[in-house]
Amino acid sequence: MEILLLLMTSDMAIHKTPGAARTAFTLALALAAGAAHADATLDKIKERGTVTIGVLANGGVFGSVDPATQQLVGWNPELARQLAKGLGVKAELVQVQTATRTQFLISGKVDLLIASMELNPERAEILGYAPTPFFRVGGAAATLKTSGIAKWEDLRGKPVCVSQGSSFARPLAADYGAVIKGYKSSSDSLLALRGAQCVAAVHDSTLIRPLLRSNTEWAEYHAPIATEVLPANSVVWTRKGETDTIAAVDEVIQDWHRTGWLIGTEKRLGIEPPQPLLQELNAKFKQGS
Amino acid sequence: MIETVLQAWVSFFRPLGLNYTFVLEPAERSAFAHGLLVTLQLCAWTIPVSLLSGVLIAAGLTSRRAWLARPLQAFVEVTRNTPTLVQLYCAFLVLNMLITQKLGGASPISPFAWVVVVVALHKGVFHAEALRAGIEAVPAVTLEAARSLAFSSRQILTQVQLPLALRFALPALVNNLVDLVKMTAIASAIAVGDVTYESIMIWSYRDNVLELLLLILLYFGLLTWLVGAGGRWLENRLRMPGYGQ
Repeated sequence: MEILLLLMTSDMAIHKTPGAARTAFTLALALAAGAAHADATLDKIKERGTVTIGVLANGGVFGSVDPATQQLVGWNPELARQLAKGLGVKAELVQVQTATRTQFLISGKVDLLIASMELNPERAEILGYAPTPFFRVGGAAATLKTSGIAKWEDLRGKPVCVSQGSSFARPLAADYGAVIKGYKSSSDSLLALRGAQCVAAVHDSTLIRPLLRSNTEWAEYHAPIATEVLPANSVVWTRKGETDTIAAVDEVIQDWHRTGWLIGTEKRLGIEPPQPLLQELNAKFKQGS
Repeated sequence: MIETVLQAWVSFFRPLGLNYTFVLEPAERSAFAHGLLVTLQLCAWTIPVSLLSGVLIAAGLTSRRAWLARPLQAFVEVTRNTPTLVQLYCAFLVLNMLITQKLGGASPISPFAWVVVVVALHKGVFHAEALRAGIEAVPAVTLEAARSLAFSSRQILTQVQLPLALRFALPALVNNLVDLVKMTAIASAIAVGDVTYESIMIWSYRDNVLELLLLILLYFGLLTWLVGAGGRWLENRLRMPGYGQ
């Protein structure tokens, strides 16, 4: 019930009347059809002097809450703060959940999303994004050392835990025939794996690999599959058609690549193994300048 | 035939800005239909189990046996005063994991069963309190009359107190049952494939949140209306002239 209510309130904010809903959707459709509109979001950001960015903090180096200061720390929050600096405004960070982050963006609760949210065609149809990626992530599977899983095909017909809203659910079910169990968050999914509700839990490799490496509670588990499922670029998401915002954000990200700031941040936060894409783009943008 | 109806449905809602194309996708359509069925199954299990536990807890609470009533009172307080979702997490993620570790294999209790147990006990407590009000409202002279006819305390409970208490408590019980039907949506939190869960899985891919939420609201509206209608029918049927009105 709580879940339903939460989603309803976030959704109803934009669709107070059927008429408004219709306009919003016709607008979305018109934008999807390819019409380019200048957007008010960038003006609003500049006017207010703050940008509201939704960040995902589900534990680990990519985003977590520092228990001492109650501040959001890690890759996603650092990028969000740096992005605000790049835009010349103050950052206001809002913590979002995997399953509802898109609604936060569409309903206007946040202006941008830096939420470990990878580029895929379905999302690109309803949302806008800054085309220069800031990372690349695929799915890795954590499984018991005794499970006998060695490749993705071994998951056929077996229950696999993911988090609700995960982009890995579709390829795991469609390409590898796994039986998907979606939990509210990645931590619930990992607990369910430990409770033997599934043979493997598939999440961003950037979550799985550090967890298995550093946490003694996970000593009985490993990530035996070398390839990643659905490797995709992480991008900053905006609402559809906000071309000015997209251009401004993309410029900042290109600057990060040029100056090597992303590589430095990756190293400082101890993200391992280093993502080759960052070196690649660093070289590319350095050449361009 | 079905295909044509669905096609017509999709094209009817499209001009309104609602995109129901997922019903044309066999896999997603059957997932959603299965979700509708699972929600119905959850209701079919939790309603009788919660009523039964409600009656048992109410009987224990009013039994005047301290060793039975005190622990039950504590159970009622703890259950009433904590959120159902937290209870479900505690049961499924913590208790279930401990059971699994103890047995060393998969837990014998399925996620579906955990939802039934947690929701039924949670609402059973509310039923028990409603029934207790009814039991305590039975006039002392009626009980005296029953005792003078040599009824045992069990006979008094089952043949005098509970039938009268039920009539008193019925509106409150129906109220609880309506809430219980809605509460089954928390099953989605632990990947039991009810209608909410299947919708989340569909919209996290298609982002057709509004369309699916409208369907969920309609479905729960229908289910709760049925429960309410059943309750009114029972109230009329059980009405006793000159009592509880």
